[in-house]
Amino acid sequence: MADILVVDDDSSVLDACRLFLEREKHEVRGAFSRGEGMQQIREKMPDLLILDVMMEQPDDGIAMAQQLRQSGFVRPILMLTSVNKVMQLEYGKDADILPVDAFEEKPISPERLISLVNSLLRGKE
Amino acid sequence: MLVTEQDKLRQDIQAWAAEWGNRRECLIPLLQRLQREHHEISDFCMQVIADALEIHPVEVYSVVSFYQFLDERPKGCFVVRLCQTLSCDMQGKARVARQLETDLGIGFGETTKDGKFTLEWAHCIGMCDQGPAMLINETVFTQVTPQLVHDILQVCRQSFGSFSFEGREDLVGARNPSFTGPLTFDAVKPSVGLQAALEKGRREIISEVAESGLKGRGGAGFPTATKWNLAAAARDEKKVIVCNADEGEPGTFKDRVILNRYPKLVFEGMIIAGRAIGAKEGVLYLRQEYTYLREKLEGVLQEMRSRNLLGTAILGREGMDFDIRIRMGAGAYVCGEETALIESLEGQRGEPRNRPPYPVNTGYEGHPTVVNNVETLAWIPCILAKGAKWFASLGTDKSRGLKLFSVSGDCERPGVYEFPWGITVMELLKQIGGENAKAVQIGGASGYIVPASRFIDTIAFEDISTGGSVIVLGPNRDMLQLTRNFLEFFVEESCGQCTPCREGTGKLLDGVRLLEEGKCSMRYLKELCKLGETMRLASKCGLGQSSANAFLSMVEYFPNEIMGRTELIL
Repeated sequence: MADILVVDDDSSVLDACRLFLEREKHEVRGAFSRGEGMQQIREKMPDLLILDVMMEQPDDGIAMAQQLRQSGFVRPILMLTSVNKVMQLEYGKDADILPVDAFEEKPISPERLISLVNSLLRGKE
Repeated sequence: MLVTEQDKLRQDIQAWAAEWGNRRECLIPLLQRLQREHHEISDFCMQVIADALEIHPVEVYSVVSFYQFLDERPKGCFVVRLCQTLSCDMQGKARVARQLETDLGIGFGETTKDGKFTLEWAHCIGMCDQGPAMLINETVFTQVTPQLVHDILQVCRQSFGSFSFEGREDLVGARNPSFTGPLTFDAVKPSVGLQAALEKGRREIISEVAESGLKGRGGAGFPTATKWNLAAAARDEKKVIVCNADEGEPGTFKDRVILNRYPKLVFEGMIIAGRAIGAKEGVLYLRQEYTYLREKLEGVLQEMRSRNLLGTAILGREGMDFDIRIRMGAGAYVCGEETALIESLEGQRGEPRNRPPYPVNTGYEGHPTVVNNVETLAWIPCILAKGAKWFASLGTDKSRGLKLFSVSGDCERPGVYEFPWGITVMELLKQIGGENAKAVQIGGASGYIVPASRFIDTIAFEDISTGGSVIVLGPNRDMLQLTRNFLEFFVEESCGQCTPCREGTGKLLDGVRLLEEGKCSMRYLKELCKLGETMRLASKCGLGQSSANAFLSMVEYFPNEIMGRTELIL
């Protein structure tokens, strides 16, 4: 069982993550913005972070991942976003600018989400 | 035209196009060269160009007909362009215009029979603090009087083709702002910010800029670090940094001063931005009205190359490659909008693109592109040299740092000033000697009329937002005349692509004319206000969305100035 924090301004994404990941016996917390997410991390360090890209600012997810890595956060980050589709952008993980462990396009199937989360958590272990 | 002349012209055009590798991108520079050297872009020339670039002649015509400085009609050897926007209007443009017409014996838009002079209007040539201003070919003349017009034209008449006003400051006038308060840019030594940036990683540079809270200084106020982050994270082999020096907003001339006095800071800002996003190519898009700055800027670039501040392995750092080239605009206000600017760089009409995709991913030639304003880029080395905390400690919570203002109009000390965001309009007016103002136009033609009752408000993104234009309006100014001037500007500058802007600006201008004649009913005035609101909502780009601002704020704040002129038919 792991403590997972989902930072996304879309409540339906949060609800869906909670629904499927709690079935896998994980504990799921939610935050709707970068600021709220950082606050929750300060209060309790999650085992895994699921992060959106575009929230209040279009680069909130990118900036948050950078900020976390800069401050020594080493736990896995799964970037879950529709930025490529919505903005017709082409993004992917990058050690320097997009320091995440996995980059997945929304919508994501429950099976894929569960398998990704579990493999990232195993990687951590 | 004789066959031999045609052959020579064809050879010239083909050779010029070949210099650019016959790429579509070269269309505008090619047309500019043709205009400069042959004074006309004929149907024959358009066909030859079309053949050379393998495009349809209609495409060439569509570009020629779009830009103010390109024309298919033959032009005189001397093209005289008198600035017709508000600041010059307030400083006696009409008398200069009459003298030009009398002296040349032609009206605006005409060419003398001997083919020597063409007389045209220009839209804001960035000399608002020293108006009336005019351009003759690429030379700018400031504080022009009717007497000076005569003397200047005499010099042109006595020359054969080319002319020089070297050493004739009595005729050319001043180019530096009439007054400039202390600027931070004076205190930041070149290379210090760049050195500091080179010591940092890409992520650290972006974090530093994010921490400073710097927002775009062109007017829109988009967070600079956010733009950089999105471009940095985008995947592509080629990325581009574009410096937007297409300063066309009436009443704005700060970028001209920055480029003239602190070009190294701007170029260093581009290099740092290039390092942050992973770009090796920079383009300075310079408006054609500022052609006289080009030689100096090219010299600065050359010097920076010789000192290994540009080129490959900058300051000995392997992989740190970056170079900058200058591309000239061709006279279109809308090209200040970033996607229109990119279209123009690609040799197209400067029409804004649909967004998304955004330039940070699909910009110049489809590559991730960051377009930053001149002032934004000049602040970058200052932030890196003095620290993000220093910058963030100035201004307000939502508008961090310092801002340059271009001040013109009815005040004692027009010029360029630096103030922190959050200064009230009244404080600003005290600094420039404009306390008696009845209103201030903030943000240029696309901005708002701020009446005296709002002088306690602050200038900041969250309150009165601006790209830097401040035009002070004295107690005797006619607000309707001001609105007409701005609407005439927008009618000319609308690219015509979307209906609300194309049709709306014309309708509002007609409405102002009806108001001036006292023939506008209250009912129609209300209709015009509704139209203005629709234009704000439905226009495609910032130009159309803001073109009704002056009209709407005039109706809101100065109803007394129009009520006597309306027919009270309800």
